[in-house]
Amino acid sequence: MSKKTCPYNRCFLKFTKVAFSLFYFKMNTTTKQGLLKYGIPSIAIIVVVIQLFLVNTKDLSRWKGGGYGMYTEMHYVYNQIYIPGMSVDSLVKDNPKMKSTLGHLMLMPNKINLKKAAKLVLDTFKKDSIHIQIWKPVVNVEKETYTRVLKEEIRLNKSNL
Amino acid sequence: MKPWSYIQLKLREPIFLGKQLLLLLLLVYIIILGEDYFFIKTTIICLGLTLWFVFNSKIREKMPWIVIIALLLVDLYYSYFWVANHHFMLLFMVLSLMLLTFHKQESIFIKNIQFLVVVVIMASVIQKLSSSQFINGSFYYHALDVGALFKKIFIFFPDSLDIVQNNSDNINVLYKSDPNLREYIVLKPVFNNLKLISVLFAWLTIIIEFIVAAALLWKPKSTVTHLLFIAMIIAVLVTRLETGFMALLSLSGLFLCANKYLRFIYILIILGCIILIITKIGYH
Repeated sequence: MSKKTCPYNRCFLKFTKVAFSLFYFKMNTTTKQGLLKYGIPSIAIIVVVIQLFLVNTKDLSRWKGGGYGMYTEMHYVYNQIYIPGMSVDSLVKDNPKMKSTLGHLMLMPNKINLKKAAKLVLDTFKKDSIHIQIWKPVVNVEKETYTRVLKEEIRLNKSNL
Repeated sequence: MKPWSYIQLKLREPIFLGKQLLLLLLLVYIIILGEDYFFIKTTIICLGLTLWFVFNSKIREKMPWIVIIALLLVDLYYSYFWVANHHFMLLFMVLSLMLLTFHKQESIFIKNIQFLVVVVIMASVIQKLSSSQFINGSFYYHALDVGALFKKIFIFFPDSLDIVQNNSDNINVLYKSDPNLREYIVLKPVFNNLKLISVLFAWLTIIIEFIVAAALLWKPKSTVTHLLFIAMIIAVLVTRLETGFMALLSLSGLFLCANKYLRFIYILIILGCIILIITKIGYH
């Protein structure tokens, strides 16, 4: 029996077509409504997840990046960039590129940003080598003390670049 | 018409009122951030104004929101890691309002705002729970000792103000020394039992935020929910004048709230926050 002449087959095809179109129509409306209701909050969740990922993998400060983590840890301005023999304040003065690079290092004190900062200082001051450290503040509630701990450091020679 | 009757009439349209207050807040916010990337922003505003004059009323209605979204996106694109967290929330709220001009379904807009505010507060709870500095109380211990919180209240306690100043000066001196020497300073506590207070305050913050988020998710229109939400907003403002963020949370409350008296309180908070931002007493 050919497909064309089979009444069951035609009936089945018609049924699936109607069912699919009904389902599709319903799905379309539901999807639309769902997208409108949950679309924007979902984007907000994605932003938070990305921020938390960066906090845990790239040492981003909880204060920034759209994760609503302000007032949950000490502000990144308490991080300290230390370059032996150089004043960071004078480095960033009237140098927007340096200010931006060192600012990123304060905000995300990781190896990548430390290397970027070291390269920039080397290039700007035509030095042969540079040693940069980034320190984070630590408060010991038991001993009532405030101190700094070394987060990352780099020693970069021009010949290694 | 008596003034209160007029106010009551106005309070019946929270979305219309909220839109007006949000536009006022946005105007202040955009002017404050206007200096950054001013060339691109000027181009966007010129283009928006031109299109507003050229097109018909249907597009005119959407145009201010589109221009505002574009301006907020410029800051987000160039300063993603520098903009305040409420910049993201502001963008999401404006996006919701722009979508409202397309779908015209207020119930969907209300759902948007409800889930958005729940996401924001729950994210804050998760951040606090995952931060060891917050849980062990060292964040609050330091913040209180250097006057980063409750600074306006310390004015009434001159002794505490002296301690705060002394601690801040000691930290500044410490930062002038070589960190490799591993020196430290002793933070003098501003109150007795500060260690215990810091831990308790940390857990209290987490519990209150969690309850407010759960209440907003479960009963978004309930009077009790909004009383809790208003109490939380006022408590944050007393702790620190985070006026920009609190104005946005209050706007969300205004959109969700069913009680006209509580709507009026939200409006007062929003206006107060906007005034403090304009006078630069509060943070934008």
